[in-house]
Amino acid sequence: MTAHTLSDTGVMLGRSMRHITRSLDTIITVTIMPIGFMLLFVFVFGGAIRAGTDHYVNYLMPGILLIAIASGISYTAFRLFNDLKGGIFERFHSMPIARSSVLWGHVLTSLVSNLVSVAIIIGVGFAIGFRSSAGVLDWLSVVGILVLFTLALTWIAVIAGLSASSPDGATAFSYPIIFLPFVSSAFVPTDTMPGPVRAFAENQPVTSIVNALRALLQGQPVGHDIWIALAWCVGILLAAYAAAMVIYRRKFA
Amino acid sequence: MSAHVIGDTAVLTGRSLKHVTRSVDTIITTAVVPIAMMLLFVYVFGGAISQGASSGKYVGYLLPGILLMTVASGISYTAFRIFTDMTTGIFGRFRSMPIARTGVLWSHVLTSLVANLISVAVVFGVAFAMGFRTGVGVGAWFAVAGILALFTLVLTWAAVIPGLSAKSISGASAFSYPLIFLPFISSAFVPTNTMPGPVRWFAENQPVTPIVNTVRALFAQQPVSSDIWIALAWMVGILVVAFAGGMVVYRRKIS
Repeated sequence: MTAHTLSDTGVMLGRSMRHITRSLDTIITVTIMPIGFMLLFVFVFGGAIRAGTDHYVNYLMPGILLIAIASGISYTAFRLFNDLKGGIFERFHSMPIARSSVLWGHVLTSLVSNLVSVAIIIGVGFAIGFRSSAGVLDWLSVVGILVLFTLALTWIAVIAGLSASSPDGATAFSYPIIFLPFVSSAFVPTDTMPGPVRAFAENQPVTSIVNALRALLQGQPVGHDIWIALAWCVGILLAAYAAAMVIYRRKFA
Repeated sequence: MSAHVIGDTAVLTGRSLKHVTRSVDTIITTAVVPIAMMLLFVYVFGGAISQGASSGKYVGYLLPGILLMTVASGISYTAFRIFTDMTTGIFGRFRSMPIARTGVLWSHVLTSLVANLISVAVVFGVAFAMGFRTGVGVGAWFAVAGILALFTLVLTWAAVIPGLSAKSISGASAFSYPLIFLPFISSAFVPTNTMPGPVRWFAENQPVTPIVNTVRALFAQQPVSSDIWIALAWMVGILVVAFAGGMVVYRRKIS
């Protein structure tokens, strides 16, 4: 990226961020559902779930963070769709602006807003008893994984936002992504699941990401989960980025 | 009810049921969320959930709560159908005809009862496919059917009020969301003794828990204890209040 592209992206990011700061309800809406799940599973179901830990909130937290991000990226697709339908893309293209900066503005806005949502959820988690024995490096690793996960999902959201024909279509793609953590190690250990469900749960991206985050937050050895998690995130990110750029170029060839 | 009222109600129930049979997707939609919950909790969470004293398959523990959720999600359609009739002016047309006034409302209530019992039967079918088994006799089955019918009537009369007084379609059906949520904070999914103090207190003193416990005990061929009387007291109490409220709103609307 040249300095020109970076400054253009900075301006676009500022524009998108203003939209968010003027409608903070989107961040609240994004966090309400994951917080609702956290309260329900900790205070209602938690006492009956055998997760091999004293405080179920510690077991649950990583999955809730991923659900928060998954529900947050639907707004990225929605904002992108609105810009596309509002004709603002064409206006930007008629100006001396780096083309990719328009997309990157949305992507970075998604990153910032989702990290704010994640921070709120961690705050609520601490309020209801979440405790972590992680050091500074562990926390930085957690943030890194969450950033990578957000970027991977955001580029998927870009595809939906660019190619949808209605606002509902732009956001609907996020539902299966929100559902994935449920059939993973996020809520209960996978070894308590029946055969086929367990096979799916243990071989889908969320489980390795959740396991890596959980180990980092509890100051335990992460094993090979972190490499599987990174492979999934980077793989999805590259595939989604490539596909999004192809669609973007087709739209504005 | 005179023969005239019963005859009118039967005709109007036939009309409402035709609407339901022409859009079978409403029954499917009603059953989809509870079935999804049942699949999720049995096949994903079930192995990790401790049922306390209740041994055996988790699907057997879970089913009573899922049945109540099915009914709760089904009655939003009752409110929706009443709201649609109100806004399209069909109530006004019926009033100009020699029809028993209460027949119009009762037809919606009975349609709700039939549609919800079909949804419940669908959920039962899925539960049996997932391994639910019970060795209960005919008497216990009748008792379960009676409790579910009474629960449906209670919620249906509760649905009549928003159906008559709502200003929008979403307003008419939105009241059902807290009702669908109630089984979550009850003994439907996990034993209440695993919950922390205040949550446990709420769970043990809200209407869904005694109803769930009663249905579960009937299925498991265990003594139903005092739960059945608490369940009946809740249901009859809410039914009387909702019926009175529904009739007051109805008279105000059409007077």
